[in-house]
Amino acid sequence: METQIVGPMASRERVMAALRREPVDRTPICNPTSVATVELMDLVDAPFPDANRKPDLMARLAATGYTELGFDTIMPVFTIIQESSALGCKIQWEQKDNWPTVKMREPIWEDVDDIDIPSDFLTHQDTKCVLDAIRILKKEYGDEVAIIGKTMGPWSLGYHCFGVEPFLLLSLDDPGKTKLALDRMKEATIDFGIAQIEAGADALTLPDHATGDLVSGDYYKRYLRDLHIEFVERIPIPLILHICGRTVDRMGYIAQTGMAAFHYDSKNKPAESMEAVANRIALVGNINNPETLFAKQPEDVQQEVRRNLDARVQLVGPECAIPLQTAIENLKAIPQAVQAWHREQAAMN
Amino acid sequence: MGETLNLGRRIEIVPMDVHFHDITVALYRQLRNEGPAFLVHTYSHLEGADERIASIVNGMQILGGMDLTSDGRLQFSCNQSHERACKRVFLEACKLESNESIEPRPLNVLDKKSGLNINISSAGSGIYDVGADGNAKSKEKRISAIAGGLIKLGQMVDERTDRVSFACGQSHDALVGLLLVRAPNVRAIMREEEMTSSRGVLTAPSQQE
Repeated sequence: METQIVGPMASRERVMAALRREPVDRTPICNPTSVATVELMDLVDAPFPDANRKPDLMARLAATGYTELGFDTIMPVFTIIQESSALGCKIQWEQKDNWPTVKMREPIWEDVDDIDIPSDFLTHQDTKCVLDAIRILKKEYGDEVAIIGKTMGPWSLGYHCFGVEPFLLLSLDDPGKTKLALDRMKEATIDFGIAQIEAGADALTLPDHATGDLVSGDYYKRYLRDLHIEFVERIPIPLILHICGRTVDRMGYIAQTGMAAFHYDSKNKPAESMEAVANRIALVGNINNPETLFAKQPEDVQQEVRRNLDARVQLVGPECAIPLQTAIENLKAIPQAVQAWHREQAAMN
Repeated sequence: MGETLNLGRRIEIVPMDVHFHDITVALYRQLRNEGPAFLVHTYSHLEGADERIASIVNGMQILGGMDLTSDGRLQFSCNQSHERACKRVFLEACKLESNESIEPRPLNVLDKKSGLNINISSAGSGIYDVGADGNAKSKEKRISAIAGGLIKLGQMVDERTDRVSFACGQSHDALVGLLLVRAPNVRAIMREEEMTSSRGVLTAPSQQE
Protein backbone atom coordinates (compact mmCIF):
# COMPACT_ATOMS: atom_id res chain seq x y z
CA MET A 1 0.00 0.00 0.00
CA GLU A 2 1.25 3.44 -0.87
CA THR A 3 0.52 6.43 1.34
CA GLN A 4 1.11 10.19 1.35
CA ILE A 5 0.99 10.35 -2.42
CA VAL A 6 -2.55 11.59 -2.67
CA GLY A 7 -4.42 14.50 -1.15
CA PRO A 8 -7.04 14.26 1.60
CA MET A 9 -9.73 11.71 0.88
CA ALA A 10 -13.25 11.22 2.16
CA SER A 11 -13.81 8.00 4.09
CA ARG A 12 -15.62 6.27 1.25
CA GLU A 13 -13.00 7.19 -1.31
CA ARG A 14 -10.25 6.03 1.03
CA VAL A 15 -11.85 2.64 1.69
CA MET A 16 -12.65 1.94 -1.94
CA ALA A 17 -9.12 2.88 -3.00
CA ALA A 18 -7.60 0.62 -0.35
CA LEU A 19 -9.83 -2.26 -1.45
CA ARG A 20 -8.37 -1.77 -4.94
CA ARG A 21 -4.89 -1.57 -3.36
CA GLU A 22 -4.48 1.92 -4.74
CA PRO A 23 -2.75 4.82 -2.96
CA VAL A 24 -4.57 6.38 -0.01
CA ASP A 25 -3.99 9.45 2.14
CA ARG A 26 -4.00 7.28 5.26
CA THR A 27 -4.88 3.72 6.15
CA PRO A 28 -8.67 3.37 6.36
CA ILE A 29 -10.29 2.04 9.51
CA CYS A 30 -12.71 -0.59 8.33
CA ASN A 31 -15.18 -2.90 10.03
CA PRO A 32 -16.30 -5.66 7.70
CA THR A 33 -18.24 -7.04 10.69
CA SER A 34 -20.15 -5.51 13.60
CA VAL A 35 -18.81 -2.83 15.94
CA ALA A 36 -22.08 -2.55 17.85
CA THR A 37 -21.86 -2.39 21.63
CA VAL A 38 -24.46 -2.28 24.38
CA GLU A 39 -23.47 1.31 25.22
CA LEU A 40 -23.88 2.43 21.62
CA MET A 41 -27.28 0.70 21.59
CA ASP A 42 -28.30 2.93 24.50
CA LEU A 43 -26.86 6.04 22.92
CA VAL A 44 -29.10 5.76 19.86
CA ASP A 45 -31.90 3.75 21.48
CA ALA A 46 -31.44 0.80 19.15
CA PRO A 47 -30.94 -2.31 21.26
CA PHE A 48 -30.57 -5.92 20.17
CA PRO A 49 -32.54 -7.92 19.19
CA ASP A 50 -34.73 -5.21 17.59
CA ALA A 51 -31.72 -3.60 15.91
CA ASN A 52 -31.36 -6.82 13.92
CA ARG A 53 -34.98 -6.83 12.78
CA LYS A 54 -36.03 -3.19 12.33
CA PRO A 55 -34.27 -1.25 9.57
CA ASP A 56 -34.36 2.19 11.17
CA LEU A 57 -32.81 0.83 14.35
CA MET A 58 -30.28 -1.22 12.41
CA ALA A 59 -29.20 1.83 10.42
CA ARG A 60 -29.05 4.06 13.48
CA LEU A 61 -26.88 1.65 15.44
CA ALA A 62 -24.61 0.92 12.48
CA ALA A 63 -24.01 4.62 11.84
CA THR A 64 -22.36 5.01 15.24
CA GLY A 65 -19.33 3.18 13.84
CA TYR A 66 -18.71 6.32 11.81
CA THR A 67 -20.28 9.08 13.89
CA GLU A 68 -19.01 7.94 17.29
CA LEU A 69 -16.02 5.67 16.74
CA GLY A 70 -14.48 7.40 13.74
CA PHE A 71 -14.34 4.42 11.41
CA ASP A 72 -14.38 4.94 7.64
CA THR A 73 -17.10 2.36 7.08
CA ILE A 74 -20.64 1.65 8.20
CA MET A 75 -21.65 -2.01 8.40
CA PRO A 76 -25.27 -2.64 9.41
CA VAL A 77 -25.40 -6.44 9.20
CA PHE A 78 -24.41 -7.18 12.78
CA THR A 79 -25.36 -10.86 12.87
CA ILE A 80 -24.58 -13.93 10.80
CA ILE A 81 -28.13 -15.23 10.83
CA GLN A 82 -30.23 -12.89 8.67
CA GLU A 83 -30.26 -15.16 5.58
CA SER A 84 -30.56 -18.33 7.63
CA SER A 85 -33.66 -16.91 9.25
CA ALA A 86 -35.08 -16.18 5.79
CA LEU A 87 -34.21 -19.71 4.70
CA GLY A 88 -36.32 -21.06 7.53
CA CYS A 89 -33.83 -21.80 10.31
CA LYS A 90 -35.05 -21.43 13.87
CA ILE A 91 -33.42 -18.46 15.56
CA GLN A 92 -32.67 -17.86 19.20
CA TRP A 93 -32.99 -14.06 19.17
CA GLU A 94 -31.56 -13.53 22.64
CA GLN A 95 -31.58 -10.19 24.44
CA LYS A 96 -29.77 -6.90 24.19
CA ASP A 97 -26.52 -8.31 25.55
CA ASN A 98 -26.13 -11.39 23.39
CA TRP A 99 -25.96 -12.49 19.78
CA PRO A 100 -28.84 -14.18 18.05
CA THR A 101 -27.92 -17.68 16.95
CA VAL A 102 -29.31 -20.34 14.68
CA LYS A 103 -30.63 -23.38 16.52
CA MET A 104 -28.31 -25.73 14.65
CA ARG A 105 -29.49 -28.72 16.64
CA GLU A 106 -32.76 -28.34 14.78
CA PRO A 107 -31.50 -28.35 11.17
CA ILE A 108 -33.93 -27.60 8.38
CA TRP A 109 -32.26 -29.77 5.72
CA GLU A 110 -30.97 -33.34 5.84
CA ASP A 111 -30.20 -33.97 2.20
CA VAL A 112 -29.10 -32.00 -0.84
CA ASP A 113 -32.54 -32.42 -2.33
CA ASP A 114 -34.03 -30.60 0.66
CA ILE A 115 -32.22 -27.40 -0.30
CA ASP A 116 -34.78 -24.85 -1.23
CA ILE A 117 -34.40 -21.10 -1.38
CA PRO A 118 -37.87 -19.77 -0.58
CA SER A 119 -39.51 -17.40 -3.02
CA ASP A 120 -39.77 -14.78 -0.27
CA PHE A 121 -36.07 -15.02 0.53
CA LEU A 122 -35.41 -11.35 -0.22
CA THR A 123 -38.68 -10.06 1.19
CA HIS A 124 -38.48 -11.96 4.49
CA GLN A 125 -38.34 -9.59 7.48
CA ASP A 126 -34.74 -10.43 8.31
CA THR A 127 -33.26 -9.99 4.83
CA LYS A 128 -35.49 -7.05 3.95
CA CYS A 129 -34.40 -5.34 7.15
CA VAL A 130 -30.81 -5.39 5.89
CA LEU A 131 -31.79 -4.07 2.46
CA ASP A 132 -33.89 -1.27 3.94
CA ALA A 133 -31.16 -0.33 6.42
CA ILE A 134 -28.62 -0.07 3.60
CA ARG A 135 -31.01 2.18 1.69
CA ILE A 136 -31.38 4.46 4.74
CA LEU A 137 -27.62 4.59 5.25
CA LYS A 138 -26.89 5.19 1.59
CA LYS A 139 -29.25 8.13 1.58
CA GLU A 140 -27.79 9.64 4.72
CA TYR A 141 -24.08 8.82 4.44
CA GLY A 142 -23.58 7.42 0.95
CA ASP A 143 -21.30 10.16 -0.35
CA GLU A 144 -18.97 10.28 2.60
CA VAL A 145 -18.72 6.78 4.06
CA ALA A 146 -18.35 3.32 2.57
CA ILE A 147 -21.46 1.25 3.28
CA ILE A 148 -20.54 -2.39 3.68
CA GLY A 149 -23.14 -5.11 3.44
CA LYS A 150 -22.79 -8.80 4.16
CA THR A 151 -23.85 -11.98 2.44
CA MET A 152 -23.07 -15.34 4.00
CA GLY A 153 -21.18 -17.90 1.95
CA PRO A 154 -22.53 -21.41 1.32
CA TRP A 155 -20.18 -23.13 3.77
CA SER A 156 -21.60 -21.01 6.61
CA LEU A 157 -25.14 -21.56 5.36
CA GLY A 158 -24.39 -25.29 5.29
CA TYR A 159 -23.50 -25.23 8.99
CA HIS A 160 -26.69 -23.32 9.78
CA CYS A 161 -29.09 -25.32 7.64
CA PHE A 162 -27.67 -28.86 7.98
CA GLY A 163 -25.98 -28.48 11.38
CA VAL A 164 -22.20 -28.28 11.83
CA GLU A 165 -21.51 -31.97 12.41
CA PRO A 166 -23.79 -33.36 9.66
CA PHE A 167 -22.38 -30.89 7.16
CA LEU A 168 -18.76 -31.69 8.03
CA LEU A 169 -19.50 -35.43 7.90
CA LEU A 170 -21.13 -34.99 4.49
CA SER A 171 -17.97 -33.25 3.28
CA LEU A 172 -15.91 -36.23 4.43
CA ASP A 173 -18.24 -38.96 3.19
CA ASP A 174 -19.54 -37.57 -0.06
CA PRO A 175 -17.56 -34.78 -1.73
CA GLY A 176 -19.84 -34.87 -4.77
CA LYS A 177 -22.97 -34.25 -2.73
CA THR A 178 -21.17 -31.58 -0.73
CA LYS A 179 -20.22 -29.72 -3.88
CA LEU A 180 -23.77 -30.01 -5.13
CA ALA A 181 -25.07 -28.65 -1.82
CA LEU A 182 -22.66 -25.72 -1.96
CA ASP A 183 -23.62 -25.07 -5.56
CA ARG A 184 -27.30 -24.89 -4.66
CA MET A 185 -26.79 -22.76 -1.56
CA LYS A 186 -24.52 -20.30 -3.39
CA GLU A 187 -27.57 -18.83 -5.12
CA ALA A 188 -28.71 -17.43 -1.77
CA THR A 189 -25.31 -15.79 -1.34
CA ILE A 190 -25.46 -14.23 -4.79
CA ASP A 191 -29.08 -13.14 -4.65
CA PHE A 192 -28.70 -11.45 -1.26
CA GLY A 193 -25.41 -9.85 -2.34
CA ILE A 194 -26.87 -8.39 -5.51
CA ALA A 195 -29.93 -7.14 -3.64
CA GLN A 196 -27.63 -5.28 -1.25
CA ILE A 197 -25.75 -3.73 -4.17
CA GLU A 198 -29.07 -2.50 -5.55
CA ALA A 199 -29.87 -1.08 -2.12
CA GLY A 200 -26.63 0.89 -2.12
CA ALA A 201 -23.82 -1.21 -0.64
CA ASP A 202 -20.32 -0.18 -1.72
CA ALA A 203 -18.69 -3.47 -0.75
CA LEU A 204 -19.79 -6.76 0.76
CA THR A 205 -18.34 -8.92 3.46
CA LEU A 206 -18.63 -12.57 2.53
CA PRO A 207 -18.14 -14.77 5.59
CA ASP A 208 -17.63 -18.40 4.70
CA HIS A 209 -16.64 -20.18 7.88
CA ALA A 210 -14.09 -22.66 6.62
CA THR A 211 -12.38 -21.87 9.89
CA GLY A 212 -8.85 -22.86 10.78
CA ASP A 213 -9.98 -25.08 13.66
CA LEU A 214 -12.14 -27.45 11.58
CA VAL A 215 -11.23 -27.07 7.94
CA SER A 216 -7.79 -27.35 6.34
CA GLY A 217 -6.27 -25.22 3.62
CA ASP A 218 -6.62 -28.17 1.26
CA TYR A 219 -10.33 -28.34 2.05
CA TYR A 220 -10.64 -24.67 1.21
CA LYS A 221 -9.02 -25.28 -2.17
CA ARG A 222 -11.13 -28.37 -2.88
CA TYR A 223 -14.52 -26.98 -1.95
CA LEU A 224 -14.45 -23.19 -1.87
CA ARG A 225 -11.76 -21.55 -3.98
CA ASP A 226 -13.60 -21.94 -7.29
CA LEU A 227 -16.91 -20.95 -5.73
CA HIS A 228 -15.31 -17.79 -4.40
CA ILE A 229 -13.93 -17.04 -7.85
CA GLU A 230 -17.48 -17.39 -9.15
CA PHE A 231 -18.75 -14.94 -6.51
CA VAL A 232 -16.23 -12.37 -7.69
CA GLU A 233 -17.47 -12.84 -11.25
CA ARG A 234 -21.17 -12.64 -10.39
CA ILE A 235 -21.27 -10.05 -7.59
CA PRO A 236 -19.94 -6.87 -9.16
CA ILE A 237 -18.57 -4.91 -6.20
CA PRO A 238 -15.51 -5.45 -3.98
CA LEU A 239 -15.89 -8.54 -1.82
CA ILE A 240 -14.23 -8.99 1.56
CA LEU A 241 -13.88 -12.64 2.44
CA HIS A 242 -14.10 -13.37 6.16
CA ILE A 243 -12.81 -16.59 7.71
CA CYS A 244 -12.00 -16.86 11.41
CA GLY A 245 -9.01 -18.59 12.92
CA ARG A 246 -5.54 -19.49 11.76
CA THR A 247 -5.76 -19.30 7.96
CA VAL A 248 -2.26 -18.66 6.67
CA ASP A 249 -2.32 -22.14 5.11
CA ARG A 250 -5.09 -21.04 2.72
CA MET A 251 -4.27 -17.38 2.20
CA GLY A 252 -2.41 -18.24 -1.00
CA TYR A 253 -5.55 -19.87 -2.40
CA ILE A 254 -7.73 -17.01 -1.13
CA ALA A 255 -5.46 -14.56 -2.91
CA GLN A 256 -6.19 -16.40 -6.17
CA THR A 257 -9.93 -15.75 -5.98
CA GLY A 258 -9.97 -12.13 -7.06
CA MET A 259 -11.68 -11.07 -3.84
CA ALA A 260 -10.80 -7.45 -2.99
CA ALA A 261 -9.78 -8.21 0.59
CA PHE A 262 -9.44 -10.89 3.20
CA HIS A 263 -10.72 -10.11 6.70
CA TYR A 264 -8.23 -11.96 8.80
CA ASP A 265 -7.98 -13.16 12.39
CA SER A 266 -5.43 -12.20 15.02
CA LYS A 267 -4.24 -15.81 15.07
CA ASN A 268 -2.30 -14.82 11.95
CA LYS A 269 0.59 -12.39 12.25
CA PRO A 270 0.32 -9.33 10.00
CA ALA A 271 3.77 -9.71 8.43
CA GLU A 272 3.41 -13.43 7.62
CA SER A 273 -0.07 -12.82 6.24
CA MET A 274 1.11 -10.02 3.98
CA GLU A 275 3.82 -12.33 2.72
CA ALA A 276 1.30 -15.12 2.11
CA VAL A 277 -1.04 -13.01 0.00
CA ALA A 278 1.84 -11.33 -1.85
CA ASN A 279 -0.11 -8.20 -2.75
CA ARG A 280 -2.73 -10.13 -4.73
CA ILE A 281 -5.48 -9.22 -2.26
CA ALA A 282 -5.80 -6.54 0.43
CA LEU A 283 -5.86 -7.53 4.10
CA VAL A 284 -8.18 -6.04 6.72
CA GLY A 285 -8.79 -6.68 10.40
CA ASN A 286 -6.53 -8.51 12.81
CA ILE A 287 -7.16 -6.51 16.01
CA ASN A 288 -7.88 -9.19 18.58
CA ASN A 289 -11.38 -9.19 20.05
CA PRO A 290 -11.65 -11.35 23.19
CA GLU A 291 -8.30 -10.51 24.72
CA THR A 292 -7.38 -7.06 23.47
CA LEU A 293 -10.45 -5.06 22.50
CA PHE A 294 -12.62 -6.62 25.18
CA ALA A 295 -10.28 -7.08 28.10
CA LYS A 296 -7.23 -4.86 27.68
CA GLN A 297 -6.54 -1.15 27.58
CA PRO A 298 -6.43 1.41 24.75
CA GLU A 299 -2.62 1.32 24.77
CA ASP A 300 -2.72 -2.42 23.99
CA VAL A 301 -5.17 -1.84 21.16
CA GLN A 302 -2.89 0.81 19.73
CA GLN A 303 0.07 -1.56 19.77
CA GLU A 304 -1.83 -4.11 17.70
CA VAL A 305 -2.90 -1.43 15.25
CA ARG A 306 0.71 -0.39 14.87
CA ARG A 307 1.83 -3.95 14.15
CA ASN A 308 -0.60 -3.99 11.22
CA LEU A 309 0.47 -0.60 9.98
CA ASP A 310 4.14 -1.53 10.23
CA ALA A 311 3.38 -4.59 8.10
CA ARG A 312 1.61 -2.30 5.57
CA VAL A 313 -1.77 -4.02 6.00
CA GLN A 314 -4.16 -2.06 3.77
CA LEU A 315 -7.18 -1.61 6.08
CA VAL A 316 -7.23 -1.83 9.85
CA GLY A 317 -10.08 -2.96 12.10
CA PRO A 318 -11.32 -5.61 14.52
CA GLU A 319 -10.78 -9.24 13.50
CA CYS A 320 -14.48 -10.15 13.71
CA ALA A 321 -17.72 -8.87 15.25
CA ILE A 322 -16.64 -7.27 18.49
CA PRO A 323 -17.97 -8.44 21.87
CA LEU A 324 -21.06 -6.45 22.73
CA GLN A 325 -19.56 -5.25 26.01
CA THR A 326 -16.42 -3.81 24.41
CA ALA A 327 -15.45 -0.42 25.85
CA ILE A 328 -15.93 2.53 23.53
CA GLU A 329 -12.52 3.92 24.54
CA ASN A 330 -10.85 0.79 23.15
CA LEU A 331 -12.62 1.15 19.82
CA LYS A 332 -11.73 4.81 19.57
CA ALA A 333 -8.12 3.83 20.15
CA ILE A 334 -8.02 2.26 16.66
CA PRO A 335 -8.44 5.50 14.65
CA GLN A 336 -6.30 7.34 17.18
CA ALA A 337 -3.46 4.89 16.60
CA VAL A 338 -3.82 5.06 12.82
CA GLN A 339 -3.69 8.84 12.84
CA ALA A 340 -0.71 8.92 15.22
CA TRP A 341 1.21 6.37 13.13
CA HIS A 342 0.66 8.35 9.94
CA ARG A 343 1.74 11.59 11.65
CA GLU A 344 4.94 9.89 12.72
CA GLN A 345 5.54 8.53 9.23
CA ALA A 346 4.99 11.96 7.74
CA ALA A 347 7.40 13.50 10.22
CA MET A 348 10.07 10.97 9.29
CA ASN A 349 9.78 11.70 5.56
CA MET B 1 -19.55 14.90 15.62
CA GLY B 2 -20.18 12.27 18.22
CA GLU B 3 -21.93 12.16 21.54
CA THR B 4 -19.73 9.64 23.31
CA LEU B 5 -17.63 11.11 26.07
CA ASN B 6 -14.19 10.71 27.48
CA LEU B 7 -15.24 9.34 30.84
CA GLY B 8 -12.00 7.73 31.95
CA ARG B 9 -11.28 4.05 31.99
CA ARG B 10 -14.28 1.78 32.05
CA ILE B 11 -13.72 -0.83 34.74
CA GLU B 12 -17.10 -2.53 35.08
CA ILE B 13 -20.32 -2.82 33.14
CA VAL B 14 -23.83 -4.07 33.75
CA PRO B 15 -25.06 -4.63 30.19
CA MET B 16 -28.71 -4.91 31.15
CA ASP B 17 -30.10 -3.23 34.23
CA VAL B 18 -33.10 -5.40 35.01
CA HIS B 19 -34.50 -2.72 37.29
CA PHE B 20 -34.67 -0.03 34.61
CA HIS B 21 -35.58 -0.92 31.00
CA ASP B 22 -32.46 -3.03 30.47
CA ILE B 23 -30.26 0.04 30.07
CA THR B 24 -26.51 -0.41 30.22
CA VAL B 25 -24.77 1.07 33.23
CA ALA B 26 -21.00 1.33 33.52
CA LEU B 27 -18.44 2.32 36.11
CA TYR B 28 -15.53 4.50 35.02
CA ARG B 29 -12.33 5.28 36.90
CA GLN B 30 -10.93 8.76 36.62
CA LEU B 31 -7.54 9.83 37.90
CA ARG B 32 -7.43 13.09 39.82
CA ASN B 33 -4.82 14.90 41.84
CA GLU B 34 -6.45 13.81 45.09
CA GLY B 35 -6.69 10.19 43.96
CA PRO B 36 -8.94 8.00 41.83
CA ALA B 37 -12.62 8.87 41.52
CA PHE B 38 -15.40 6.75 40.07
CA LEU B 39 -18.24 7.73 37.79
CA VAL B 40 -21.44 5.77 37.25
CA HIS B 41 -22.78 6.46 33.77
CA THR B 42 -25.30 5.39 31.19
CA TYR B 43 -25.62 6.52 27.60
CA SER B 44 -29.36 5.92 27.75
CA HIS B 45 -31.56 8.94 27.08
CA LEU B 46 -34.65 7.25 28.49
CA GLU B 47 -36.72 9.34 30.84
CA GLY B 48 -35.82 8.34 34.36
CA ALA B 49 -32.32 7.09 33.48
CA ASP B 50 -30.67 9.92 35.43
CA GLU B 51 -32.72 9.04 38.49
CA ARG B 52 -31.72 5.40 38.15
CA ILE B 53 -28.04 6.39 38.03
CA ALA B 54 -28.57 8.59 41.10
CA SER B 55 -30.10 5.61 42.88
CA ILE B 56 -27.10 3.41 42.07
CA VAL B 57 -24.73 6.13 43.23
CA ASN B 58 -26.69 6.42 46.45
CA GLY B 59 -26.48 2.66 46.87
CA MET B 60 -22.72 2.74 46.44
CA GLN B 61 -22.40 5.47 49.05
CA ILE B 62 -24.32 3.44 51.58
CA LEU B 63 -23.12 -0.07 50.74
CA GLY B 64 -19.49 0.86 50.15
CA GLY B 65 -19.17 3.80 52.51
CA MET B 66 -18.06 5.93 49.57
CA ASP B 67 -18.11 9.72 49.47
CA LEU B 68 -19.83 11.72 46.75
CA THR B 69 -17.86 14.64 45.33
CA SER B 70 -19.48 17.92 44.34
CA ASP B 71 -19.33 16.88 40.67
CA GLY B 72 -20.99 13.52 41.20
CA ARG B 73 -17.98 11.22 41.44
CA LEU B 74 -17.49 8.58 44.11
CA GLN B 75 -14.37 8.23 46.19
CA PHE B 76 -13.20 6.31 49.21
CA SER B 77 -12.30 8.51 52.17
CA CYS B 78 -8.70 7.24 52.03
CA ASN B 79 -8.40 8.47 48.42
CA GLN B 80 -7.14 5.05 47.38
CA SER B 81 -8.60 3.10 44.49
CA HIS B 82 -9.67 -0.24 46.06
CA GLU B 83 -10.74 -0.95 42.51
CA ARG B 84 -11.82 -4.55 42.83
CA ALA B 85 -13.88 -3.74 45.91
CA CYS B 86 -15.38 -0.73 44.17
CA LYS B 87 -16.45 -2.88 41.24
CA ARG B 88 -18.19 -5.23 43.67
CA VAL B 89 -19.93 -2.27 45.35
CA PHE B 90 -21.13 -1.12 41.94
CA LEU B 91 -22.44 -4.56 40.96
CA GLU B 92 -24.26 -4.98 44.27
CA ALA B 93 -25.79 -1.50 44.02
CA CYS B 94 -27.06 -2.31 40.52
CA LYS B 95 -28.84 -5.37 41.91
CA LEU B 96 -31.08 -3.15 44.03
CA GLU B 97 -34.29 -1.55 42.88
CA SER B 98 -34.42 2.23 42.86
CA ASN B 99 -37.01 2.53 45.59
CA GLU B 100 -35.47 -0.15 47.80
CA SER B 101 -34.43 0.99 51.25
CA ILE B 102 -30.71 0.48 51.66
CA GLU B 103 -28.69 0.08 54.81
CA PRO B 104 -25.04 -0.78 55.32
CA ARG B 105 -24.55 -4.52 55.66
CA PRO B 106 -23.70 -5.68 59.19
CA LEU B 107 -20.28 -7.03 60.09
CA ASN B 108 -21.67 -10.49 60.67
CA VAL B 109 -23.20 -13.14 58.49
CA LEU B 110 -24.51 -16.68 58.75
CA ASP B 111 -22.17 -19.03 56.94
CA LYS B 112 -24.63 -21.48 55.41
CA LYS B 113 -21.96 -24.04 54.70
CA SER B 114 -20.93 -24.50 58.34
CA GLY B 115 -23.85 -22.99 60.22
CA LEU B 116 -21.42 -20.65 61.98
CA ASN B 117 -22.14 -17.00 62.63
CA ILE B 118 -19.18 -15.16 61.18
CA ASN B 119 -18.21 -11.92 62.89
CA ILE B 120 -15.82 -9.27 61.74
CA SER B 121 -14.30 -6.81 64.17
CA SER B 122 -12.23 -3.80 63.36
CA ALA B 123 -8.86 -3.61 65.08
CA GLY B 124 -8.25 -0.11 63.71
CA SER B 125 -5.81 1.09 61.05
CA GLY B 126 -7.68 -0.85 58.36
CA ILE B 127 -7.21 -4.19 60.14
CA TYR B 128 -10.12 -6.61 60.53
CA ASP B 129 -10.31 -9.82 62.52
CA VAL B 130 -12.49 -12.68 61.35
CA GLY B 131 -14.16 -14.76 64.06
CA ALA B 132 -17.06 -17.16 64.42
CA ASP B 133 -19.75 -17.97 67.00
CA GLY B 134 -20.91 -21.55 67.23
CA ASN B 135 -19.34 -24.93 67.00
CA ALA B 136 -18.38 -26.70 63.86
CA LYS B 137 -15.60 -29.10 63.00
CA SER B 138 -14.50 -26.90 60.20
CA LYS B 139 -14.51 -23.67 62.22
CA GLU B 140 -10.86 -22.71 61.68
CA LYS B 141 -11.02 -23.74 58.05
CA ARG B 142 -14.13 -21.66 57.39
CA ILE B 143 -12.68 -18.60 59.10
CA SER B 144 -9.61 -18.91 56.95
CA ALA B 145 -11.70 -19.42 53.80
CA ILE B 146 -13.83 -16.36 54.53
CA ALA B 147 -10.73 -14.28 55.24
CA GLY B 148 -9.45 -15.53 51.88
CA GLY B 149 -12.72 -14.46 50.29
CA LEU B 150 -12.34 -10.94 51.66
CA ILE B 151 -8.80 -10.80 50.32
CA LYS B 152 -9.95 -11.82 46.84
CA LEU B 153 -13.02 -9.62 46.69
CA GLY B 154 -11.50 -6.55 48.30
CA GLN B 155 -7.82 -6.81 47.33
CA MET B 156 -7.13 -6.92 51.05
CA VAL B 157 -3.85 -7.89 52.63
CA ASP B 158 -3.39 -11.36 54.14
CA GLU B 159 -2.19 -10.68 57.71
CA ARG B 160 -2.82 -14.17 59.09
CA THR B 161 -5.52 -16.85 58.71
CA ASP B 162 -8.06 -14.84 60.72
CA ARG B 163 -6.90 -11.30 60.04
CA VAL B 164 -7.02 -9.13 56.92
CA SER B 165 -6.32 -5.49 56.28
CA PHE B 166 -6.60 -2.70 53.75
CA ALA B 167 -3.28 -1.47 52.39
CA CYS B 168 -4.43 2.13 52.88
CA GLY B 169 -4.40 1.62 56.65
CA GLN B 170 -7.88 3.05 57.08
CA SER B 171 -11.13 1.47 58.17
CA HIS B 172 -13.88 0.75 55.65
CA ASP B 173 -16.55 -0.90 57.77
CA ALA B 174 -19.40 -0.57 55.26
CA LEU B 175 -17.22 -2.02 52.52
CA VAL B 176 -16.21 -4.99 54.65
CA GLY B 177 -19.86 -5.61 55.53
CA LEU B 178 -20.74 -5.68 51.84
CA LEU B 179 -17.88 -8.00 50.92
CA LEU B 180 -18.66 -10.29 53.84
CA VAL B 181 -22.00 -11.25 52.26
CA ARG B 182 -20.15 -12.75 49.28
CA ALA B 183 -16.94 -13.87 50.98
CA PRO B 184 -18.25 -17.32 52.09
CA ASN B 185 -18.78 -18.30 48.45
CA VAL B 186 -16.23 -16.52 46.32
CA ARG B 187 -16.28 -19.29 43.72
CA ALA B 188 -19.89 -18.45 42.89
CA ILE B 189 -18.89 -14.84 42.35
CA MET B 190 -16.03 -15.88 40.07
CA ARG B 191 -18.38 -18.11 38.07
CA GLU B 192 -20.90 -15.29 37.81
CA GLU B 193 -18.19 -12.92 36.55
CA GLU B 194 -16.99 -15.43 33.96
CA MET B 195 -20.51 -16.04 32.68
CA THR B 196 -21.25 -12.34 32.47
CA SER B 197 -18.08 -11.55 30.56
CA SER B 198 -18.56 -14.38 28.07
CA ARG B 199 -22.00 -13.13 27.06
CA GLY B 200 -22.01 -11.11 23.90
CA VAL B 201 -18.86 -12.65 22.49
CA LEU B 202 -19.64 -13.93 19.01
CA THR B 203 -18.16 -17.30 18.13
CA ALA B 204 -17.84 -18.88 14.71
CA PRO B 205 -20.74 -21.17 13.75
CA SER B 206 -18.44 -24.16 14.21
CA GLN B 207 -18.07 -23.21 17.88
CA GLN B 208 -21.77 -22.65 18.51
CA GLU B 209 -24.22 -25.13 19.93
